[in-house]
Amino acid sequence: MAPPARYCVPGERLCSTEEATAGSGTYTRHGFIFSSLAGCLEKRSEDSGLPVVSVVRDAESQLLPDVGAVVTCKVCSINSRFAKVHILYVGSTPLKSTFRGTIRREDIRATEKDKVEVYKSFRPGDIVLAKVISLGDAQSNYLLSTAENELGVVVARSEAGVQMVPISWCEMQCPRTHTKDFRKVARVQPQFLQT
Amino acid sequence: MPLDHRRLRGPEESQPPELWAAGTGAVPEKEEEEDAAPQDPCALRPLFARAGLLSQAEGSAYVELGGGTKVLCAAWGPREAAEPGAAAAAAAAGGGRLLCEFYRAPFAGRGARRRPGSAAERDAEREAAAALREALEPAVRLARYPRARLAVSALLLQDGGSALAAAISAAALALADAGVEMYDLVVGCALCRLPGPAAAWMLQPGEPEERRAVARLTVALLPALNQVSAVLGGGQGSPPDDWAQALRLGLDGCHRLYPVLRQSLLRASRRRDATAAAATTTTA
Repeated sequence: MAPPARYCVPGERLCSTEEATAGSGTYTRHGFIFSSLAGCLEKRSEDSGLPVVSVVRDAESQLLPDVGAVVTCKVCSINSRFAKVHILYVGSTPLKSTFRGTIRREDIRATEKDKVEVYKSFRPGDIVLAKVISLGDAQSNYLLSTAENELGVVVARSEAGVQMVPISWCEMQCPRTHTKDFRKVARVQPQFLQT
Repeated sequence: MPLDHRRLRGPEESQPPELWAAGTGAVPEKEEEEDAAPQDPCALRPLFARAGLLSQAEGSAYVELGGGTKVLCAAWGPREAAEPGAAAAAAAAGGGRLLCEFYRAPFAGRGARRRPGSAAERDAEREAAAALREALEPAVRLARYPRARLAVSALLLQDGGSALAAAISAAALALADAGVEMYDLVVGCALCRLPGPAAAWMLQPGEPEERRAVARLTVALLPALNQVSAVLGGGQGSPPDDWAQALRLGLDGCHRLYPVLRQSLLRASRRRDATAAAATTTTA
């Protein structure tokens, strides 16, 4: 039977830093570990060194896109210099409210950056996998990049309204009208494909 | 004797209605002033706090002080910072922003001091919102939410004195209930000093005492870290020892109120986990 859960409030002193290391939902001050969330105390023992103390809440805490995280976003408008997107998922957790992001023209591809045309890489309504490269300054949004093989367009609809099938890394074909469209296609990892 | 059918006849004996009205609390003003004098200045009014009651907000709290101060507060977790221009100052510091709102219900005061909806009322609300923000900002870990904004909205349902202090406590509870990372809970306590040559400071004044007071003070404390986050108020000048003694009294009051708020938060966490577990077992 699981031991009764111990609940804690923000500011509650859990233990000293000599007994454990601080995990998520905690902070250290004056050599002690304090709780930072109102939730359940969890102590995990690590093989190397001290156990890790963390405080968890059952409801998924709102994740903010962090630098280096792979996010799923939807293109809302394009321009000759950049594409504006709405960030929908961070990793595999959906966000409760969408954040805005920008993919600059030079961040779309890793090679031949000056020959890139945004119109031939993304279109409004495409679902794109991108990586966060910067949180952006006060005026701009999150800066994203698709300059890797695994990043780029995953779902796109043709003008006929049918979901297109990728043919190569830069082309997608509509299965109904057989017209080819240019996109920067992502090479999705095999474990994520449902076959 | 002929009966009178045109009139309803009352009972032969009648008594004045005031006999039956004793103790309802709707007592005329002069009786309250007599009761105010023997009140113990260090006595705290009973506090009721409950967290996690609104379903439409991510975190919520309701605080009620004995004697009729009721505050309802709701908090929302990190959302995208809306106005990029105004966020320049906060983004320079690298953290998120805390937006506070304080509203007074039109039926909050008995005999409204200001007409609800007037400019003076809105100014007072804005001032209270700024005070709320000053008290809460040191407690929230804004550095963990870059470029995000956290919103807190407090609604004063009934004003029976010490409204701002109750709002501070309710707002801190609501933020903790919403899952926002905080350094500590914030406990608010109000004091006032009545007119008179040797009047002492009084904890948690009621509404008539607040109206007659010459000096008012609201103290916000982070109890576990023993840090004061805000000291708000003012009034008639007096020697600094007097203010220091008032501050000590206020901090003591905050420490005494902290266990109640802590218990309500723990109960809310347990309740939320129990409902989540029940939901998963019914769906699974």
